[in-house]
Amino acid sequence: MDKIRILGAVAALSLTLAACGVSTDSDSTESGKSGKLRIKFVINGNLGDRSFFDSAYAGLKKTEKDLGYSLKVVELGSDRTKWSSGFEDAASGDDYDVLAAGTVDTVGFISKLAPEYPDKKFWLFDGSVDYTGRSGCSNKCANVYSVTFKQNEAAYLAGFLADKLVAAKALPGGAGNEKVGVIGGVQIPVIEDFVVGFKAGFKAAGGNPSSGVLVQYVGGDNPFGDPAKGKQIASAMYGQGAELVWPVAGSSGLGAFESAVAAKRYTFGVDSDQFKTLTDASQRQTVVTSILKNAGNALYLAAKANKAGTLAYGKPAAVGLAENGVGYVDNTNFDKLVPAAVRTELEAQAAKVKSGAVKVPSAF
Amino acid sequence: MGPVLDVVLSTGFLAAILGVSTPYVLAALGGLLAERAGVPNIALEGSMLSAACTGALVAGYSGSVWAGAVCGIAAGALLALLLGVLHLYLGADAIIAGIGLNLLAAGATSYTVFALLGDKGGTSRLHSGALPSVRLPLIEDIPGVGAVLSGQNVLTWAALAATPVVAWLLYRTRFGFHLRAVGEHPEAARSVGIHVHRVQFRALALSGALAGAAGVFLSMGAVSFFVTGMTAGRGYIALAAVFLGALRPCGVFLAALGFGTAEALAVQLGNLDVPSQLVSAIPYVFTLLALAFFAWRRRRASRTDAAPAPLAGPAVLESP
Repeated sequence: MDKIRILGAVAALSLTLAACGVSTDSDSTESGKSGKLRIKFVINGNLGDRSFFDSAYAGLKKTEKDLGYSLKVVELGSDRTKWSSGFEDAASGDDYDVLAAGTVDTVGFISKLAPEYPDKKFWLFDGSVDYTGRSGCSNKCANVYSVTFKQNEAAYLAGFLADKLVAAKALPGGAGNEKVGVIGGVQIPVIEDFVVGFKAGFKAAGGNPSSGVLVQYVGGDNPFGDPAKGKQIASAMYGQGAELVWPVAGSSGLGAFESAVAAKRYTFGVDSDQFKTLTDASQRQTVVTSILKNAGNALYLAAKANKAGTLAYGKPAAVGLAENGVGYVDNTNFDKLVPAAVRTELEAQAAKVKSGAVKVPSAF
Repeated sequence: MGPVLDVVLSTGFLAAILGVSTPYVLAALGGLLAERAGVPNIALEGSMLSAACTGALVAGYSGSVWAGAVCGIAAGALLALLLGVLHLYLGADAIIAGIGLNLLAAGATSYTVFALLGDKGGTSRLHSGALPSVRLPLIEDIPGVGAVLSGQNVLTWAALAATPVVAWLLYRTRFGFHLRAVGEHPEAARSVGIHVHRVQFRALALSGALAGAAGVFLSMGAVSFFVTGMTAGRGYIALAAVFLGALRPCGVFLAALGFGTAEALAVQLGNLDVPSQLVSAIPYVFTLLALAFFAWRRRRASRTDAAPAPLAGPAVLESP
């Protein structure tokens, strides 16, 4: 009886492991001999998010054609318990020269692995290791290039634009409310950086962020994948007088676009041009602009600098508006919804942020 | 406090409670049936997830939301039956097998979505549509009540109707009588000729179907697409409601409604100046308070039952 019981449990579990196991997608295997630099992109999640990781992948993919790198992708899935061993497996192979990884969640893995493999290079995007040697890397991460995004700068422009739009009651069909909403996935520094920047921009445009900006977090078990809750929050915000809502919450945000259609109000997108990536025509029409973190571009530039031998290992880098690491989308819908005067003001603000004349506060 | 009260007393909030509670009520009633039949169904979460995925996919490909809903509910029932096979026939521990099935559902749904659509995030590119909302022609004109009751999803009404139906099934039918007997004492039930496993299988199928309806509501009612992991632990909260409701249909309904209210409140209060951590703790604090209250009541009840006995007993005997 006991054997059967164990067998049953093992059968159930092994089915599961097979179903959500680590998948390796090898784009090229012979590259080691040809002398190409080999990048191994280890993803603590999956491709197909149509935003952050997909953008990084596109950037790295481009290095194959343009710069002669070769790329291998390892997807570790969303189960955090598999990440640590996944990174160790990925790093222990001799099939790469550069190991690329993203998000703050991988900082610990990179800090541990970089000193263990001093001959390899590590690229970390959207997170930074500790270069002082006090914690993390024992070799002061001398072989790690890490780049963070000044999402607060792009969020500042979003806040500025949002206030200009609602203050001028410029959005067609709007109810004339003067509030806007921001939905964060969960209250962590990288999300707070968006919120802090947004509020600063809202204030710079003449709005009062403490009464005019509603902020709420999805939270719970799956903060970036709970669209039902995202929709509830967006509906509540529209109900409380928000003219537009900006979800910064991954797939949870998809619920907000449905809510915007129902409420006949507006949204901002995040991470990818959601006017393009959303497939529902009425939802797309609500997207005034999207705030981008251009992970692909940052990685492409890193690859280029690495090839030229100028990539700065051993110290942190950050890219913002000036480096085209972050930005906002100006497309046909933007054209349709944003008055020319507001556009001019927004572009002037962007120039000020780029030149450093305006310093945007940060949550870090 | 002013803005908080405004929010809580608004019809939008009351309407939101019904919507938010729907998956909890349906799944918790499913959990109740299995629990009363003596099989802890911890796979509610997995049933919800597979139903949400199947429903959106079938609706998207067939073009019929009703076909999607039926297939989704069937998928939920199927997962629960798989739990039955593992636990009742193969003797696997119900909790371990249930956890395994939840993981299976998480992996299998994202795999299926990727295999069919080439998209690991979800089915948002498939325009699967949602189940219709029910408009109540006369009632919707009544101020206050109309805004709360009219325009709710058809599955919200199903959830409200399911509570008396489950109560009737448990207490007024032969099947319900057998189900409770099997859950209370399987040996005794077997000795009077009840086919224990058959009853438990049927209970599990119903349990999975109800959880499936909860999942279908998420992907075809609350929103109109599936996202991997979109149940976000609601199955486990429903399981808590089963026990919080003291294993009775009415109690389970109220407990699930309580969880829904706490979540809806958290959503509304989040926009006021209340710290987000405090707001997201509301459902959990609510659970703890409710559990403490029930424990206190039970202790008081048992004390009042027990206390007079030793005093009254001898006194009655001695006096002629």
